[in-house]
Amino acid sequence: MLTAVSPQAAAAGLFSGQRVTDAQALRPDLVLAEAEPEADARALEALADWCVRFSPAVAPDPPDGLFLDIGGVAHLWGGEAEMAADLAARLARDGLTARIAVADAAGAAWALARSPAAEAGPQVLAPWDPDGREASPPPPELAGLPLTALRLEPAAAAQLSRLGLRRIGQLAALPRGPLARRFGGRVLLRLDQTLGRAPEALAFRRPPTPWFARLDLAEPVSAPDDLARLCRDVALRLCARLETAGRGARRLRLDFHRVDGAPVGLELGLSRPARDPDRIARLFLPRLETLDPGFGIEAVSLQAAEVEVLSPGQADLASLLEPVEGPEALAPLIDRLNARLGPGRVWRSRPRASHVPERSVRRTAALGAEAGPARDGPAVSWPAWRPRPLRLLPRPEALEAVIALTPDEPPRQFRWRRRVHRIRLAEGPERIGAEWWRSGIEAVRTDQVRDYYRVEDQDGARFWVFRSGLHDHDRPVRWWLHGLFG
Amino acid sequence: MDGDRRNRLATLRADIRRLERWTGPARGRLSLGDLRLDSALGGGLALGQWHEIGGEGIEAETCAAPAAFAARLAAALLARPDQRGRSAVWILRRDDLFPPGLAELGLPADRLVGVCARDEAEALAVAEDALASPGVGVVLAEVGAVDLTAGRRLQLACEARGGTGLVILRRPFGGAAAGTSGGTAAATCWRVSPAASAPNPGELGLGPPRWRLRLTRGRGGRTGAWSVEAGARGDEGEADVAHPLRLVAELGDRDLAAPAALSAAG
Repeated sequence: MLTAVSPQAAAAGLFSGQRVTDAQALRPDLVLAEAEPEADARALEALADWCVRFSPAVAPDPPDGLFLDIGGVAHLWGGEAEMAADLAARLARDGLTARIAVADAAGAAWALARSPAAEAGPQVLAPWDPDGREASPPPPELAGLPLTALRLEPAAAAQLSRLGLRRIGQLAALPRGPLARRFGGRVLLRLDQTLGRAPEALAFRRPPTPWFARLDLAEPVSAPDDLARLCRDVALRLCARLETAGRGARRLRLDFHRVDGAPVGLELGLSRPARDPDRIARLFLPRLETLDPGFGIEAVSLQAAEVEVLSPGQADLASLLEPVEGPEALAPLIDRLNARLGPGRVWRSRPRASHVPERSVRRTAALGAEAGPARDGPAVSWPAWRPRPLRLLPRPEALEAVIALTPDEPPRQFRWRRRVHRIRLAEGPERIGAEWWRSGIEAVRTDQVRDYYRVEDQDGARFWVFRSGLHDHDRPVRWWLHGLFG
Repeated sequence: MDGDRRNRLATLRADIRRLERWTGPARGRLSLGDLRLDSALGGGLALGQWHEIGGEGIEAETCAAPAAFAARLAAALLARPDQRGRSAVWILRRDDLFPPGLAELGLPADRLVGVCARDEAEALAVAEDALASPGVGVVLAEVGAVDLTAGRRLQLACEARGGTGLVILRRPFGGAAAGTSGGTAAATCWRVSPAASAPNPGELGLGPPRWRLRLTRGRGGRTGAWSVEAGARGDEGEADVAHPLRLVAELGDRDLAAPAALSAAG
């Protein structure tokens, strides 16, 4: 079966869905290639990434479509028609044939792009139903389209065509009640989505955001200095808009669009909302050199994924009175470190209500909402009367050659990391059991119990060792070293 | 002509002094809790400079006693009224610091920012950045070694805002100790090793931790060796941050401290 045909083949009367033997009978010189749906899907994903230069919100529509939410970004090209023309020209330059349509509803754009009119060039449909009321009839461009443009299931489409309904306009003119009874809500929903009366959820690869700025370059650049300048210029644009709206960005994404189509990008998280272009550019700067500009960068875009209210005064005050003390003063440092080291490498520790040592510490962002006192539950702190080591090994290390007088006494001597420690003083035990309330009571076993001792060797070095499990004659006693006291 | 030349020489000398502000005046001194210790340091640990703290033997790798000593110093420093609202930044290469243990030594977790660096150069760069940032009172950095250039950079960063650096020398796990030949730009160099504790008579278990301190280098002070104990704890078990250390004994280390200097201090 043919899945796709070239323009020449189509001119010869071949069509997709035709049997290969039939097609070969028509044109014996037919050149066949195996269909590769997976490769097609990957190519569509790549194209969706490439389209981010036009709008941050791109949703692939397999097998062969892409939705771009261009609300709020078309003005960067001077209008929807200009934007569509630019997109068509760029795609054509890369040897891709595309049909483009711009409409208020995703369904309408889908229908128009697949109409014969779109073969000639991008179609832009003016808004026809600004209030979303059902009263207004569909515009002639839509009403004249066949019912296949509604993305109906084959069964429903066949039934409708048996009734003599061939055009969207005919279907829209019918009373809704009988239509829903006869064909189910699905047909009506598709009709409404096409006419912009019902919302349609698109699976955008990135959530759409109105906070988006981009710069197009006449000539591709690749020098690091140029990238740094671009970064600042695009930040300047976005920050000017944030300033007017009284907002600050918490999370930013910078994308460089390479000549060969692949975007390269950086993410940045801020501990406090900011809209100072210099500061944002400085935070991106150290990581710019990790990017591979390929054969050159032809466009750059910056979008703020998380935006918070930031009153105008705050930013100005902070720059005037720079040596503010307190946690606020740390914000620039924390941002620099987060940007340089990556996520999870800068933290503040908080107590957690758990007696299991590994679970008693919770790491939170060094600054932010959680940096204040814990909101969930009562304030917990580590009890001062329970000795805790200064260093806790990531996992307990087994002690060898342990000598203890009786199985339930602290060790007198052990070997750890090829060194023998003779114990002078010991303190304990502190018995710590598993948190049985976390799983079923039947999962609790006595060998999960740990008896912790604080011991000091002949040199004064202090260790936190434990014996795992209750004493059992059949099982040898196992000792572990879990931490070191200073 | 002669006077002109003398003037120029004086100007140049002043320039050199300005460039080499090695021994710039300390921004205050931190008392270690005992007059004999403080006098060896010229009045206390110099703030606005950086200090090197290392361990010996197994402690060079596990680095528990040096870290505890540094934590006591940091806790005392953050408790000063002029450090209100400032934080400590602890830079790690190996992620095994346990905040409950630090809280016991008087360093509260909510004033501590942990940073885990990927390599030596990054740890030093982060330390430099943190020292020169507002809101940071003390930076504790666990690194393998600090060479002269890195030391000068740290010192300049300290002078930017008066931050104090405590560099904890820690050998990478299983690796060889970095060569520490050559000079160091640190204001003081300490070697800390654990010492056997002495529990109070009639008490069971372990006494407060004790350390053997060796001050191997001190700018504007003299060297020495002491046996100290972590400061007493209050009734609720909270650490006494005003007196970080209690002097147990001065150690007669002939190589390090001349007896004459000791008696003069005593």
